[in-house]
Amino acid sequence: MTVTAGSNKRRRRSWLQDWRLYVMLILPISFYLIFCYKPMAGIIIGFQDFNMFKGMWGSQWIGLENFRFTMGMSDFSYALLNTLWLNFLGLICGFPVPIILAIMLNEMRSIAVKKISQTLLYLPHFLSWIIIGGMVLQIFSPSTGLINSTLLRWGWITTGIPFLTDGPHWQATYTLVGVWQGMGWGTILYLSAITGINMELFEAAKIDGANKMQQIWHVTLPGIRSTIVVLLILNVGQMMNISFDRPQILGNPQVRKYCDVLSTFVYRTGITNSQFARATAIGLFQSVVGLILISSANFVSTKLGEEGIW
Amino acid sequence: MKKSLAILLALILALGMLGTVSAEDEWLTLRVECFDREITGLDVTDCWQLHYAQENFGDPNHIKLEFVSFARWTEGDLLTNALAGGTAPDLCMTYGGPLVQQCIDKEGIWQLDDLLDEYGANLKAFLGEELLGYGKVDHDGDGVKEQWYIPARRISVANVGNFIRADWLEALDMEKPTDIDSFTDYLRAAKAAQLAGENTMPFAFGIYAPDPMFNVRRFTDAFVDFNEVTEEDWFALARNPEMLPGAKEGFRWLNTLYHEGLLPETFALTDNDKANDTALIMGYNGFFSQQPDQPWRTDKNYQKELEKNVPEGHWVTVNPFYNESLGKYLHDIYAANGLSIIIPLTANEETAIAAMKYLDWMAIPENMFMMQNGLEGINYEGISETLGIPYGVKSADAVPNENKMHAGDICFISNGLFYGDDAKNSAALALPFAGYEEDVVASYVDSLTDAWTQISFTVTVQADTDYNATVKSKQGEFLAAVVSCDPDKFDEVFDAGIQDILNSGADKMIEGFREAYLAGEYRGVFPGNL
Repeated sequence: MTVTAGSNKRRRRSWLQDWRLYVMLILPISFYLIFCYKPMAGIIIGFQDFNMFKGMWGSQWIGLENFRFTMGMSDFSYALLNTLWLNFLGLICGFPVPIILAIMLNEMRSIAVKKISQTLLYLPHFLSWIIIGGMVLQIFSPSTGLINSTLLRWGWITTGIPFLTDGPHWQATYTLVGVWQGMGWGTILYLSAITGINMELFEAAKIDGANKMQQIWHVTLPGIRSTIVVLLILNVGQMMNISFDRPQILGNPQVRKYCDVLSTFVYRTGITNSQFARATAIGLFQSVVGLILISSANFVSTKLGEEGIW
Repeated sequence: MKKSLAILLALILALGMLGTVSAEDEWLTLRVECFDREITGLDVTDCWQLHYAQENFGDPNHIKLEFVSFARWTEGDLLTNALAGGTAPDLCMTYGGPLVQQCIDKEGIWQLDDLLDEYGANLKAFLGEELLGYGKVDHDGDGVKEQWYIPARRISVANVGNFIRADWLEALDMEKPTDIDSFTDYLRAAKAAQLAGENTMPFAFGIYAPDPMFNVRRFTDAFVDFNEVTEEDWFALARNPEMLPGAKEGFRWLNTLYHEGLLPETFALTDNDKANDTALIMGYNGFFSQQPDQPWRTDKNYQKELEKNVPEGHWVTVNPFYNESLGKYLHDIYAANGLSIIIPLTANEETAIAAMKYLDWMAIPENMFMMQNGLEGINYEGISETLGIPYGVKSADAVPNENKMHAGDICFISNGLFYGDDAKNSAALALPFAGYEEDVVASYVDSLTDAWTQISFTVTVQADTDYNATVKSKQGEFLAAVVSCDPDKFDEVFDAGIQDILNSGADKMIEGFREAYLAGEYRGVFPGNL
């Protein structure tokens, strides 16, 4: 009895002491409640013949019909495979880049150069895909784009490189533009992890005669290993999710089979056609697969002796 | 304490009295959807037309009018959301046919027969029985069609505008092309002569992603062999003109143009509109196809913009798409109905009555004239004695903000300016384009030559709802592939593309349309009957 009372008192004291922190928590918690948990109830329309006038409580239940219909559409398999493939390419090409970049930034001697490079690298992250899409068109267009027209003029090539009009070329362009856009922003977490490494380790390595590369390999990289693993797990969990604006804006009908992904597929067959129930069904499917992927990645990483994310 | 209590009581009493006063003299609020084109200086929710309607219709009927702004180019999405959320205005309109169909199928709007009979005499007179028929659907399956929406009256049904550079023809010493061959010669000659330097791109061509065949069929229909097409097939292939017998040669022709560098290599890149607009006004192009009044429109005045860059530049109408099997220059035209006007069920009966009364008020000729033309001396200079229509119509930027207006979007029962009869209405088409009247009239004459009305169906074809968007996307892919593929592989690519379109649901759509045709549930014209 007295023990409980004591711990209650202690708890109350910590509440009172840290009330400002708790107040600050209200904002993120309400964000998740309002935008992530509340809409989850809407999942049920994925199992209904949704009637927008009757709402989700008045519509008729049709079981898995929406899933059957959407997944039976000829484009669904393309969209699914492209989603996985483009995300996989993005992960392979895009994941190591911020790590390398963070290490390079960390090794810079001049603070001024470092700060300027960081700012320039962050910049693309703040550009909307609409703007990047316009830039991509200017740079990569078949014969009028900057690269092709320059190379043609110099006589290095005789026909334009089909960056945007040939499937595999398009996928490469898509991936590299994504890497360029995200790499600077991605360095932030690694840079902070590197700052957290004990300086004495570097000094000890130096005394042992390690050169710069050896220091990076034996001190820096192991020091940020847990950060790398956590980010890798999170990225694997996102394999089924693909943003809408990037493929929609960079894509075009000529490479439709290579650029159609789940988000654009859902937009086309669900939203533009007012088929909300079918769009919801695909959304649910994506989330379930995402959950499975992230759980397996977490399982593997804990088995390998790394920290998981839960 | 006592004092403050007394003040509180007095306040409560006063508020209560206020309440009873307003109850005796109750006004009804009617919320009306209003397309918003974001014209500088025009606030559609507080515009001259609203004040005029409030004064002349609202005040006498104790109705407070409110205009709710819906962005014109996303109106369908916005209205869908508003309807689903139960926040739609009391009087709505949309160009989205499938959306209206869904409203009827799912019973989200008022059935209008009784309201129209009781409160819509003027509206009925303005629209006429035939046009009203477009808004009639047999929803309950008893064999009698009920009025579910009010179709607006489309004053001009013209849709196709093909334009060629008169100054280029002169420079090349050529006549206006009259068939595909002479047209191809013109494109080749223009390219060879490099009439706009190394940027010369004779044919302004792009994919209209929302409906790739909408524009392209203007070209490919010229190749269709109508000896091989039955009326039934024509309607069954309503959304698939690429499958009409002979159309393949039209696509082959485009493929040839592409490989000769006569149409832009970038035609399939989605964000092409801007590039095409620039090329048109920089004078790089020698031909383009859009709406019949496109070169002179106030929002994209290709003619005036072109003159800034190429002073002698001159767009004129041209008719090169001659179909030999019919001996005709085919042009598709819109059906007589414009946008669809609905009253959502979220409006109560009184409000629905008010909505119908408002439509009826708008249909009275004097009111319509004011709502479409505004004030003499401000929006236009005067009324022509010979034609009986306004002259000296001011463009939006020449009118003070408080008098700015948009005729069609706010007086929405009429798509286009209405002056009582066809002669006046046609004369009025060229009105906003001072200085280019002859070119405009010639373009309208061309676009109505050998005109066939676009196809629509009067029943819901479920396959259309299910697969429409997918099929259109496939058609875009198909078009990009057949136009750009290696000419030696054309047949292979074409046939595979057609199969792909069929597999993505077009086969079910064709079947559905065929059934609807056989049941007599269709509208539109078969060119073979012209």
